[in-house]
Amino acid sequence: MNALSEQVARKVRVVIVDDHAIFRSGLKADLDSRIDVVGEAGTVEQAIAVIAQVRPEVVLLDVHLPGGLGGGGREVIGASSPLRGSTSFLALSVSDAAEDVVAVIRAGARGYVTKTISGPEISDAVIRVADGDAVFSPRLAGFVLDAFGTSPAGIADDELDRLSARELEVMRLIARGYSYKEVAKELFISIKTVETHVSAVLRKLQLSSRHELTKWAAERRLL
Amino acid sequence: MTTAMQRPPLVRSSDRMIAGVCSGLADHLGWPVKYIRLGMVLASFAGGAGLAFYAWLWVMVPTADESARRNSRRPASPIAPSVSMPSEVITPDGGAQPLPLSAPVPVLASWFRLRRIQYGKEILLGAGLLLVAAILIARQFGVDVPLGTLIPAAAILGGAAIAWMQLDETRRAGLVDKTKADQAGGWVRLAAGLALVVAGVLVMVSGSGSWEQTWLALLASIAVLGGVALVLLPWGLKFWKDLETERAARVRETERAEIAAHLHDSVLQTLALIQRRAGSEQDVVRLARAQERELRSWLYRDAAKDAGLLAERIAAAAAEVEDAHGHAVDVVSVGDAIMTDRHEALVLAAREAMHNAARHGGGAVSVYLESSETGSEVFVRDRGPGFDPDAVPEDRLGVKESIIGRMKRHGGTVVINSSSEGTEVRLKLPVENADKAETRNGEAKG
Repeated sequence: MNALSEQVARKVRVVIVDDHAIFRSGLKADLDSRIDVVGEAGTVEQAIAVIAQVRPEVVLLDVHLPGGLGGGGREVIGASSPLRGSTSFLALSVSDAAEDVVAVIRAGARGYVTKTISGPEISDAVIRVADGDAVFSPRLAGFVLDAFGTSPAGIADDELDRLSARELEVMRLIARGYSYKEVAKELFISIKTVETHVSAVLRKLQLSSRHELTKWAAERRLL
Repeated sequence: MTTAMQRPPLVRSSDRMIAGVCSGLADHLGWPVKYIRLGMVLASFAGGAGLAFYAWLWVMVPTADESARRNSRRPASPIAPSVSMPSEVITPDGGAQPLPLSAPVPVLASWFRLRRIQYGKEILLGAGLLLVAAILIARQFGVDVPLGTLIPAAAILGGAAIAWMQLDETRRAGLVDKTKADQAGGWVRLAAGLALVVAGVLVMVSGSGSWEQTWLALLASIAVLGGVALVLLPWGLKFWKDLETERAARVRETERAEIAAHLHDSVLQTLALIQRRAGSEQDVVRLARAQERELRSWLYRDAAKDAGLLAERIAAAAAEVEDAHGHAVDVVSVGDAIMTDRHEALVLAAREAMHNAARHGGGAVSVYLESSETGSEVFVRDRGPGFDPDAVPEDRLGVKESIIGRMKRHGGTVVINSSSEGTEVRLKLPVENADKAETRNGEAKG
């Protein structure tokens, strides 16, 4: 909680990218006082221009966007790669189809939440991403477990290709609907440690070329 | 009789050199196909007996597809459904009456009529073949048969038959519909048929059959054919393209109509309902949730995925609870398992837990299903005020009987964790001594 309250002094600058104006204004109203919305965009081109111009800390990015080459959110992340160090992306979607979610995560988003998420929850998620951590919804944790398998890493395995026993535990609890705080309490570790594990899983999800993962992705027409 | 019953039915195989007769026969008899083919060729030298036998089988034996279609077509004819399914007769006053007992007579009559239509072509061809056999026999007895005319004519007929074999029953629909005669074998057969027909025509026209004349005629006819092709090709291509475009447009139109129909039946109806119930937040949320779920499953349905597996059943149970209580129930599943009686118990126990969570807990209910080689686990979590599992009265059968008792009877375990922050019911069903280890990892539903 301390980390969160420190943020109050310094508002997180956010750009909202979504093609529905109604949703953008609703989301803006939902975000709490820790967050400052500095820009909005409705298409891929607008988003790339606005992000380059205002250089926000976090971009709330809809997975499905009109315009550009048809790549939607993935295309925005790709085009904004020069800002990768200073700007993080949080994917936002009504779709919970695996192909959409994992594609945008592998493109470089720091997390994924569904549009039905509540105001306080999404505010927390934005702060978390701004702090450099990853945000996993239960469904994303489910995808990860599905793609990497549910047995822990052996010694011979490539480090990127399997989840450690601890990471598996964290992913399982998140899939069961536990918040980071509850995960920390359940496993007798600090929230920071939970965040470290989640970030490690995110990195593996983004970088792994694990055979099963690529096969899994190919089956869902991801790569 | 019993051994005959065990044999696969005699049908023409799709793995064919000419008409699939030999491979079909080999399948039926259980002999290697190459011996059958060899025997057929050897028999052909014995006065053409092999050829006649082959042709006879070709005519009389249906392909596998045709056979299946015929068998399914017989009981319920699309042409005369009221006759072939005489369970009810619509009387003039609009009521349905059971048919009197004399019904089988018209049924039988129509069945025979159908059969005759179906086999008419085959009977005709069979008669032709009998004629051939008669000619062969006549020659044996020294009757002079004008072979010089008959052989070219037979070549033409045979060529046409081979070319048109493309269009035997199974393919005709596909060819007319998709023009997919693009398989190499198809072209080869078409070319062979054409060559036979052309050769037959040439020999017939040139009469004598001297090579010099034949070559000249052949060249001339090729030139003519080439010229005609040159002239007609652009027309043909244009026609073909138009056909393709029109077909694509029709497919698109059909798709659009299907989507429109679906949206009308689902989304528009729900929106209308929501407008009428705008006063009740609970109803609006419930309607929106149910509609969202329905639309999602329609949009992202995975045709390859088997329905009726564990993950699907858990999701269905969650949907049922969601509808009953108006609380969101989010299901995340990893892996999948084939349903057994024990899994049925797991689904029922999980459903009871979800009911409890939605009834007593507040807010969203999280359900997590994990299936692996070692067993299946279901976690049902709510954010309610919690309860003490030991303090549940004996007469409250929900938890004691429907969840704990049921799981224990099927070799599973139940752990209930409850605190002021919520309750989690954990159902675990281990795999039974390796006999039900048919889990399907990587099949998880999103």
